[in-house]
Formats: sequence, structure tokens, C-alpha cells
Amino acid sequence: MSDFSEELARPGSEDGQVETSVVSGTGMHFPWLWKHLDTVATRGKKKKDFAQTTGACLSLIQEALLKQRWQQAAEYMHSYLQTLEDSDSNKKQMAPEIIWKLGSEILFYHPKSSVKTFSAFADQMKNVGVLNYLKISLQHALYLIHHGMLEDAHRNLSQAETWRYGEKSSSQETLINLVQAYKGLLEYYSWSKKKMELSQCDKDDYAYSTEARNTFRHSWKTSVNFSSLIKTPGVWDPFVKSYVEMLEFHGDRDGARKVLTNYAYDKKFPSNPNAHIYLYSFLKRVRAPRAELLRALQILYQIVPSHKLMLEFHTLLRRSDREEHRKLGLGVLFGLLDFAGCTKNITAWKYLASYLRQILMQNHLGWVQEEWKSRRNWWPTFHFSYFWAKSDWKEDKDLAYEKAFVAGMLLGKGTASRCEMTNPYGLICISLKFGAV
Amino acid sequence: MDFPSSLPPSLFMTGPLGSSDVPDLSFMCSWRDALTLPESPPQNCKIAAPNSATALLWEPSMPGPLPLLPPCPDPWDPGVTAQDLLFRGGFHYRRQPQVVLDVTEQLSRFLWDHGDIAFAPLGKMMLENFKLEGGRNRSKKMTVVSAKKLLQDLGGHQPWGCPWAYLSHRLRRFSIVGGPVLGKSVSHLLGRLLHEELATRWEQLLLDEAFTGGALAWLPGRTSQVGQLVYPAGGALDRLCFQEVSLPSGGDPQVLGDPGCIQLQGPVRQVVTSTVQGETLLAVRSDYHCAVWKVGKQRRPATLQVLRVEKGATGISLSPHLPGELAVCSRSGAVCLWTPQNGLQQVYKDPETLVFRDPSSWRWADFTAHPRVLTVGDRTGVKMVDTQGPPGCGLLLFRAGAEASCQKGERVLLTQYLRQSDPESLPPTLHLVCTQFSLYLVDERLPLVPMLKWNHGLPSPALLAHLLPPAHPGSPQPLFLGGLGGQVQLLHITGKEPSAPRLAGPPQSLPSSADSLSAFPLLEPKSQKQLQERLEAPTIGLASAFPPCASTPAVWLFQLSAAGDIFYQRLTLQAASSFHRDEEPPSDPGPDSPAPSVPPMDPRPTPSWTSQATACCSRWLEALLQVPPAAPVWAAPTFSHRRLLGRLEPREVEGKVLQGLRAAMAGGQLLQQRDLGLLPSAEPPPAPEPGPQDELSERLEEAWAGQGTAWCKRQQGKISISEPGKQAKRPKRRSQLSSTFSSLTSCLDLPETSSSPHSLERTTSEARLQPPVTPYSQESARQTPQDNMVELPLPKDTPTSRHVATPPSQASSVQAMPSQRSTPGSWPQRKRPRMGF
Repeated sequence: MSDFSEELARPGSEDGQVETSVVSGTGMHFPWLWKHLDTVATRGKKKKDFAQTTGACLSLIQEALLKQRWQQAAEYMHSYLQTLEDSDSNKKQMAPEIIWKLGSEILFYHPKSSVKTFSAFADQMKNVGVLNYLKISLQHALYLIHHGMLEDAHRNLSQAETWRYGEKSSSQETLINLVQAYKGLLEYYSWSKKKMELSQCDKDDYAYSTEARNTFRHSWKTSVNFSSLIKTPGVWDPFVKSYVEMLEFHGDRDGARKVLTNYAYDKKFPSNPNAHIYLYSFLKRVRAPRAELLRALQILYQIVPSHKLMLEFHTLLRRSDREEHRKLGLGVLFGLLDFAGCTKNITAWKYLASYLRQILMQNHLGWVQEEWKSRRNWWPTFHFSYFWAKSDWKEDKDLAYEKAFVAGMLLGKGTASRCEMTNPYGLICISLKFGAV
Repeated sequence: MDFPSSLPPSLFMTGPLGSSDVPDLSFMCSWRDALTLPESPPQNCKIAAPNSATALLWEPSMPGPLPLLPPCPDPWDPGVTAQDLLFRGGFHYRRQPQVVLDVTEQLSRFLWDHGDIAFAPLGKMMLENFKLEGGRNRSKKMTVVSAKKLLQDLGGHQPWGCPWAYLSHRLRRFSIVGGPVLGKSVSHLLGRLLHEELATRWEQLLLDEAFTGGALAWLPGRTSQVGQLVYPAGGALDRLCFQEVSLPSGGDPQVLGDPGCIQLQGPVRQVVTSTVQGETLLAVRSDYHCAVWKVGKQRRPATLQVLRVEKGATGISLSPHLPGELAVCSRSGAVCLWTPQNGLQQVYKDPETLVFRDPSSWRWADFTAHPRVLTVGDRTGVKMVDTQGPPGCGLLLFRAGAEASCQKGERVLLTQYLRQSDPESLPPTLHLVCTQFSLYLVDERLPLVPMLKWNHGLPSPALLAHLLPPAHPGSPQPLFLGGLGGQVQLLHITGKEPSAPRLAGPPQSLPSSADSLSAFPLLEPKSQKQLQERLEAPTIGLASAFPPCASTPAVWLFQLSAAGDIFYQRLTLQAASSFHRDEEPPSDPGPDSPAPSVPPMDPRPTPSWTSQATACCSRWLEALLQVPPAAPVWAAPTFSHRRLLGRLEPREVEGKVLQGLRAAMAGGQLLQQRDLGLLPSAEPPPAPEPGPQDELSERLEEAWAGQGTAWCKRQQGKISISEPGKQAKRPKRRSQLSSTFSSLTSCLDLPETSSSPHSLERTTSEARLQPPVTPYSQESARQTPQDNMVELPLPKDTPTSRHVATPPSQASSVQAMPSQRSTPGSWPQRKRPRMGF
């Protein structure tokens, strides 16, 4: 009962939390502590009836939601609204958030609810307790976007953008930035729609130039919406992507590069692989020098060595004049094939087979040995086991051939008698030879 | 591998738990996850049907799970509760209620029940200060007290807990003089130990981490319809069983034959299985041991290796990449990579926790998408450690802090690598992190930023999780999340390679075994309570079988309870229930009437019990009621100090009582008051068990009639009869709690061990392993020969020989238990010097 509202307690409100450190000294919070305490509390002040009924109602709603009985949940919700009248100020403050959370969940899934119902509920909830205005507006807008009502969502966000309450706190600031960014995203949608229409128009038309100018101005206005949010640390993939696209259209390549570089290299941001991928694809679009491309990919290689762009990285390195690049090219392939999700990547095996051949011909046996040293004790069972030899042969002969070639080079080809011990792919190697003959 | 091309927006803040006022963007609604931002600007006005997610529903075929196997023949005791541990008086509903361990009551209980343990050493020491025999004290020493006088004053009545009881001068003097000595030594030493013990018990009650990961596993068989359940059985959960089960597509699961058993020397805490490259391995974690078996083609397990973990093992996991590789972690903070061929390789060791200081010594380790990288977890976070890199370094994958917008007091309870074999499923880089509040999915390619967060709200610690492959290619994957209290939540997770993982619909709660109570016939209160306790036993294992060839996708979910019972339920994927959202006219708007006044329409009828199910339950119940109640681990001795003092002539009444008692004990009959002829026959038969209130009213009535003294005399007689009975009936929980103290006395008196039957046969010589000394319980350690840890099940083709081989040893071990335990009657025979307090 009460443990649920306990869980909903926002990080800031610690009044309702139970101090257990007296006993355990761990500082760990147990949501089920109340259940134990309730069995013990035989004497003393009981909870008020009001708190009991609202608590019971809350747990019934939760149960109905988890059983996906929306109708039942809606009926209980009807009664639960009394919690807004709670005399406990702490609970009263928390109530709108709980009601919004549960109510929106019910209305989202309820078979008889409609966008209109949802919007009416959201509009009322925004004004119950001032603190949730921005959050609810944002979610309401998301709901509208999801239902394809972009204009309504835009209107909603524009309203929320101008909302202020009391002293401007940092969380309010972030939320307003988010609201603006989502608004910008909506504008970006309409902008790119227009751009598409424009691309179908005749370029010499008079209408085209005015339209183009309008679009131009529009994009300029929108970009302001994004710029404040993407300075805040976070994952802002959709915003950055559209912002960059608009900047590029505007011709502001330096601006776009700055945004992407900041997004990728700012230490305060999480190491988001997408940031580097966006930067790399931007650099590719603007035909940046190879060194820059390599630098972008090298960082991606350090973060996600299993990414499919690593194959591209490999080909870039392979074509490089510098020896250390070509050496790294081998490491990239080995690194990619280390991962469980890449074991059947036939392109990678193909690249590795051909590159191994090339390297050995260029007398760089040391490179291979270096890479192989750390993999010697587990690659044979991971890649070149009997099981895989058999199943690869059955499922994908090309893959089996490539792997057999690599295995032959790394493990030694092995004769028919020896192959059992060392290289199960030996048999395939032999059949490969016969096939070649 | 491809990375999601666009991740959902989220804030990233660094900082401690619950510190920042960062707006929680997710707001913890399940529907928020359904809102994906359109990748490209939406072309048409209507985006994909919003309710496609709602169609996802795994409907249980019964209102609750049903028992799969007959109940475990060993009695089960639910153990201590909060009532036993916490201070009951004066608890107020304050905003910040304090949890206070009731040490005083436990201490007085202990002194009362185990006075011999508490005072015997002291009595020995003070022996010269007491004069036991003889009449007058002629030594004239002030330091010698006559025990006879003291006992006479006590008069056989010990005014426990009664401040108004009459105390003689002598007694008072003795207690004042002896008090400091008695009080200090006993209460200081015992109090400290007891407090420690109570705190441990209380912590265990709040969070029993031993079963993290679960002790139940499903081994798929040759066909998809047949498989094996691997689970611990027996009262001590120390017998590992392999039960073959067939799952017909439509009917109930059928148990094929008797289970094969392996007797271990400690309780099984975790069972893991994994099939890599066609080789199935089974790993088991006990408190201080880990073992790994290879399951052969004939489904026969063969021991590979047993590992002893000095400080206690907390987690074990099998590699999904390389056959025969395991990760083991111990309470010392060490994580090792374990291969039966090459032995142990320490990967990580840090007695401190990862992110901030937390006293818990729980550690966890699992594998990642890279076969040489492990995750190391503790209560504060999860780290990825390269086994080939320099020791100690690694990247934090999850931090209990502001990054994942964790609450204050939030701790990691379980981490799991969500291994994937199917390319049509989620990417193989996802890790599940469960805390007491939320569930997180973290991608190892983007550490610290959870891809998905769901506030599960389970009312018990979520220690069990199980991800299943998708029902159809491309459909969401069901993820079971089980709480120790039996609650199971089912989440639908979707997100193939190019998109981020998200919830594909509202999570579902599944019935727990406590919901099955309605399938059982109504019983008399005592049996009903027994049944209820049994059904509400903590869930310590979760397994599921997913026969893929069925026409309608169905999942079998098995749950293992701490009492050793296995319950099953069948879930079928519901065909898209029709939600005509767009065709329906908008219902009555307005937030305060979200429920339109239409008759309640539930698209799904609630499942009901079939006659087969109730019959199955009745059969199970019959077997359960034949299980004897848990024998008290220890019962208070019922010795009489009067035997010590020969000259104290027993009173007449008592002589009669004793005679009657002896006669009844010899005949094994129930002793009733009228058998002793104490009560006048004219008195109406008393109510079944006269409580103190009845006594009071009786006394008042008598006093009103002027017969107060007569009643008192009568009552005195009664007390002396009912005393032994009362002591035997003393709640077993407390005595069980205090049983831990029997370890203190083990040096004083060890029961004769030569009489216990050693009849465990050795079936195979290969099965003999290192002699592990398991401090699980002293009884079992005494019974089993130390070098006989593992008994392998015999081949399937000789079922009779297996019957012969294993059961006698088990039967003997089971039957040996009560004989080891001291019954009230057996105590007086043992002669020990003790004081008579």
C-alpha cells in the first residue's frame, strides 16, 4: 500500500523514507520494509482511514494496470482522485504526479479513450499543482506527435515554452530547453516536408525562390531552438541530426562541424557512438581529408570495435601509406571478429583472409603473431571448433571456406590425421584445395 | 554489428544517487516507450497504429500456478518474521519510523529457554559459593549461600517478567549481590552476539541475496517437447534433482519417471545451464562451493570439477561463448574465470565496492558480447573488466547514481547478460540491471546511459530474471522478472539492431503461487495456515520452457519455492485483441470521469480452475498434510531442580502429577488434567485452551463468591502440571533462532555420533571429490561421510537399481535428523553440572 507511494517519492522528497540504517548501516532503501513493519505495528497510532483507502485504491489500480484491465483501472481511478484532498502535505504534493502517471497510462491503453479525452485530461492535470506543468506538456506533446497531430503538438509546446513559475531553477531550465528542442524538431519536420515539396518544384519558378527564402528563414529560426539544449550533456541524437541537416542546408558547414565535434568530443557528454558516427558521415559528406576520417573512425574503434563501420575503417587503413595504419588494419579486423555478434560476418572473414595473405606476402609475420598472441588460447574454440566447422559447412559454405582459409593460416592447415587435434577446418581446407584443383 | 541509428533523447548528469534535481524525463510510464520519434518527417498524418503494442498479452491458462511434483516430504518452516525480531511496543506511525531490534525480549527468551547454556559456566565458576546439600551453613563464610534456601524461597515459581512478584529478602539480597556479576558477563557477551545475530537475520529477512539468479533451470531435451528440470530438493535443499518433464502442446506437463539425484553437502543456491556449441553444462553454486557438470547425450550429468570458495561464493555464470568457461565471484571481492581444464584465473579483486562505499560483500560476474570481457557487479554498480588487460582497470557499465537517475538508497540487486543466439532478436550487447525500484537495460557499447528504464514496483527483491527468444521472428521478446516474494512480471522488449530497445507494451503481472489458494479445498484453520505458508514460501528459482513448434506460441513458466515445491503455469500469446480505437466515438471527456458509465467490458474472460486442476491440487494437498510438522530444532529442557536437592521433599500434588506424567509418557498417551484427578469431577469441562483471560474471569468469579484462596490453591496445582507442556509448545521460531547458539555449546557437549547411521554408498568412484567441509549445519556434517559429496544418478535403464541405491541413504539421513535433535525427554538423562536457575 504505502510502499508504492514510497517508491514514487521523488529523489528530492526524503521525508517519507524510512531510515533503516539504524540496523543495517547500509543506507539501502527497502520498498518492502513497510510490509514487515505493518505486521509488527500492533500498538500505536494507526494510519488514518483516508490514507488507508487511498493506499488500497492505489494498489488496486496498479494491479489492474499490470493485469491490463483498463476498464477496472479507470473505475478505481475515479475514486482515487480523492487523494488530491489529502491533508498530508507531502502526499498532496506527490498526488498530481501519481495521478498523471496512472491516468495517462490508463487513457493511453483504454480501448474507449481518444485523443480528445487524453488531451482534456492532460490540460486539467497541467494546472493541478504547478510543478508538473512542463513535464505534462512535454508528454502531452509527445502523445500528440505519436498520433500524428503535429500542429496541436506544436501549439502545445509553444505554450509551454513561455511558462514560468517562481525562480528559474536548473531543472526548469532544462525542461524548457527540452520543450524548445522538441518544438524545433517539429519545425524541422515541416521544414523537411517543404524541402521535399520544393525539390519537386521547378527551379526557375518565381514561387520557388520565395518558398526557398521562407524555408531558409525558417531553418534559421529553428536552429535557435536546438542550440541551447545540445549544450547540456545528454543523448540528443534526433536533435543533433536535424540541426546539422538544417545547418548544412543553410550552408553553415563550420557551424555543423562545430556542433558535431562538440557533441562527439565534449568530455561531459556520455561516449555516444552515434556522435562519432554522425561526425564521420558528415566528414565523408564534405569530403574531408582522409586523416580526419581516420581520426574520427579511430575513436569509434576504441568505443565500439564491433561496429560495422570498422570494415570501412579497415579498407581506409589498408589503403594508407603508413605502415602503422596498415598494421592497425589487421587489429581492426581481429577486434571486430572477437565479438559474439560478428562471428558470422562473412565480409569480415573475407577481408581477413585476403589481408592475411597480403600481409604474409609482404613479410609482416610479426603483425599477425602479435594479434594472434592474445587470441591463441581462445579463438580456436571460439571460431574454429568442430561444431562450427560442421554447422558452417552445412549453413554457409562460403563462410566455411573463408574461415577455413584463415584457420589454415593461423593454426596450420593440418593433414587429415592431424586436423582432429588442431584444426577442424583442416578438412575444409583440404576440400578447398581439391576444389581448386 | 549495427548500433541504433538514433537513440531516444535523455539527459546525462553525473553525481551521487538522488542528488540532482534533474527532471526525470522518462517519468516511468510504460506508454512513453511506445512513443518513438519518427525517424524521418512523417509522411502521412497517421503514424502506425498506436495499439499494436496492446495486442501483446501472454494470458495464463489458469488463475494461478499448479504444483508440478508432489510436495517435498521434508517439513518446512517459514523461519523468523519481523515480529520475532523487531520491537513491538510503542511503534508509532511516524514519518520516520525507526526499526528497533528487540534484543531484550530475545535475550530474556534466551535466558529463559537456554538458562543452562547462559548460566552453566558461571555456575561452575561460582560453585564454591553455593552450598547445595546439607542443612545449616556452618562455614560462616559470607561468600557461601545455601542454594536450598534460595530455592525454597523461589518455591518452584519463577516470577519471570512480573515486577510485582513476591521476592524474599534472601532472594533480593542475592540478586543485588550477584546481579552485577551475572548481568555483566551474560548480558554483555550474549547481548553482543545476539544483537549481531539478530541484525544478520533482519538483514536477511529484508534481502536474502543467497538465491540471486535462482536455483531452477530448464535443460531442453532432444525434442522441443521434452526437457529436464534441474532443482534442489530436500528440506535443506542439498539434493540436486534432474526431473524429466514432457510438455504436450495443449495438456498439462507430464513428469516422466523418478528424478535422478545427486546428494551434495550444502544447500544449492544457484543453478545455471548453458548450451554452447552443442555442449550442455550445468553449474551449481552452494554457500562455499561451486561445481560444474557436463550433461551428456543421454542427459546424464558427469562431474567436471568442484571448487571450494573459502570466503563464500556469491555468484556463478557460464560463458555463452566458450564451452566450459565460468565466472565465479566470492565475498572477498575476487572474480575468477574458471575453466575445468586450466583452473582459476583471477580477473579482478577489490574488497571495496565500485562506485561508493557499501558494506555489502555481494559480488556478481557475468559475460559480455566479447568472450574475454566480464562484467563485475556489486551493490553500487557494474564494471566491464578485460580479462587480458592489466588487472583492476575497466569501464563502468552502470553506476548507481545520477546517470541512471537512481533514487536515494537504490542498490543493484541483480545484473545479467542477456545472451542472444538468434540474429532476429535483440543485439547481443545488452545487460539487465535490477534494483529494488527499477529495471535497466544497458548496452555495453554506450556505458552509463540506460537504454531502457522501467519502474517495476515489485514488493520483494527482484533477484530472478529470464529472457526468452521472440515468439515469432521479429516480435518482442518476453522478459520475466521474478521477485523473491513470488511476484512475476512479464515485460515485452523489442528493438532489433537498428533501433534502441524499448518496451513494446504495458508490462504484465503473472499470478504467483499464493494466488492458487482458491484451487484448494477449504481446510480447518491450522491446515489452511500450513497450506498458505507453503504457497507463500519465497520463490527461489524461475525457469521457462518455450517449445517453439506449437501453433499458438506458449510458454511454460516454472517456479521453485523455498519449501522445495515446483509450480508451473502455461502462458499463451493472445491473438490481437480487437481494439477499435478509431472507430469508437470519443467517450465522455473530462479527467474526473475517465470511466464512462458503460457496463464493465473486459475483452478477456478471467481464466478459471478446471476440474483437473482442482483434482491435482487436492492430491497435492493430501500429500502435504501427511508431511509431519517441522520438528523443533531445540526445545527447552524440562528438568527439575528438585532432583538435584534430594532433601527437598516434593509436595503431594506434585508427586501425583509426576507419576501421572510418567505413566502417560510411558504409554505415549495424552495427559489430561482429569487423568491426574486434580479437578473435581463436578466442574464443567474447561474450554479447549483456557487463555489468560479465562483464568482471570474464573478467578474473579471465584473471588466474588468468596472462594479466592481455594481457587489459588487449585491453580497452583494446575500450573505445575501445565508447565512442561507449555515449554514444549513454545514457539519454534524463537527456539530455531536461538539454535544458532547451540554452536556455542557444541564444545561443551557433543552428542554421541557413533550411533548415527553411516550408510551412504558410493556409487561411482569417479564421483568422489575433494572433501569439502560445509558449515551448513552441524547435523548434516556429522551424518555424511566427508568424502561422499556427490552421488550420480544411475543410468536410466536401471531404474530399480537407482531406487535401491539412493533412497536408503537419503531415508537414513532424513530419519537420522530427529534422532540427532534433542527432544525434551532426552535431555534430563544427560548429566551436566548446572545451576538450577
